Amino acid sequence: MLLSFALWLQATYFFTELRLSTTVYPAILSLHLIGMGLFGSMIVVTDLRILGLALKKYPVADIALQLRGLKRVGFVLVITCGLLMLGSKAEEYYLNIFFRAKVSLLLLVGVHALVFHSSVYNRLGETKLGEQVPARAKLAAVLSLILWLSIMICGRGIGYIEPPLNIHAGV
Amino acid sequence: MALDFLNESPLVFPVLECFHIAGFIVAVGTIAIVDFRLLGFGLLRQDPEELARDLAPWTIVALGVTFMAGMGLYMSDPDMYYLNYIFLWKMAALLAALLFHYTLRGRMLRSSGSLAAIISIALWSFVIGGGIFTAFV
Repeated sequence: MLLSFALWLQATYFFTELRLSTTVYPAILSLHLIGMGLFGSMIVVTDLRILGLALKKYPVADIALQLRGLKRVGFVLVITCGLLMLGSKAEEYYLNIFFRAKVSLLLLVGVHALVFHSSVYNRLGETKLGEQVPARAKLAAVLSLILWLSIMICGRGIGYIEPPLNIHAGV
Repeated sequence: MALDFLNESPLVFPVLECFHIAGFIVAVGTIAIVDFRLLGFGLLRQDPEELARDLAPWTIVALGVTFMAGMGLYMSDPDMYYLNYIFLWKMAALLAALLFHYTLRGRMLRSSGSLAAIISIALWSFVIGGGIFTAFV
């Protein structure tokens, strides 16, 4: 069922044009990566601050909470561009092992948020300047870095899987 | 002439790419945090100049990683890159972005911060886009 949806989606006029465009497609991919520069670095800097490796002289909650807005803007940019690229090559992505791994890892990000959002990120204010953050917060930061790095690696991997022949036959 | 060890395993190129991407995310991102601060977003309680100094070590290390990985990517097939006009534009933009970052930008932080931020974001975005379009020529 998912596969037939993928076939229908990529065959729509919008996504067919997008796939065949030699300028719009790379432009969207560029915006995907520019968004990663924004979104990824907000995550990295937040996590590095929690681990005490960067911006140590400012309170941890001060950094984490102020960066939330920009992080969300970056996330929306990355996910929008990602969905546009997914739609244009939906069948190929559906079959792609790295894409499947990437989606699984994104689900784990959701689990990470469920586990740590209220117990760690919303309680960072309890750690005063100069105090150690709780071990649980450090665990959340390390897991977040590992998850997002793996997602980036899977994203790069998607392009290395050769699609089966005749995959876009008929369009 | 391509350096042969870079072409011996099909894994070398994608691994270098991942270092290149992870590196630029930290490098450009730590620069962008200051740029957005100058434009009135993000770390508003921090002083821009101080923030730039605090993040500078992460920026320079990440730039180093990005550059080393990028050199590896380039040397795996130099002719392809050297003859690619988009790649040459990317290199020109990179040079401009680096020169701007390490000369004018520091002096502009206090007097004309938002202009410095816009120039910086535009140049680095151009460099990233240039990297993508290089592969599509």
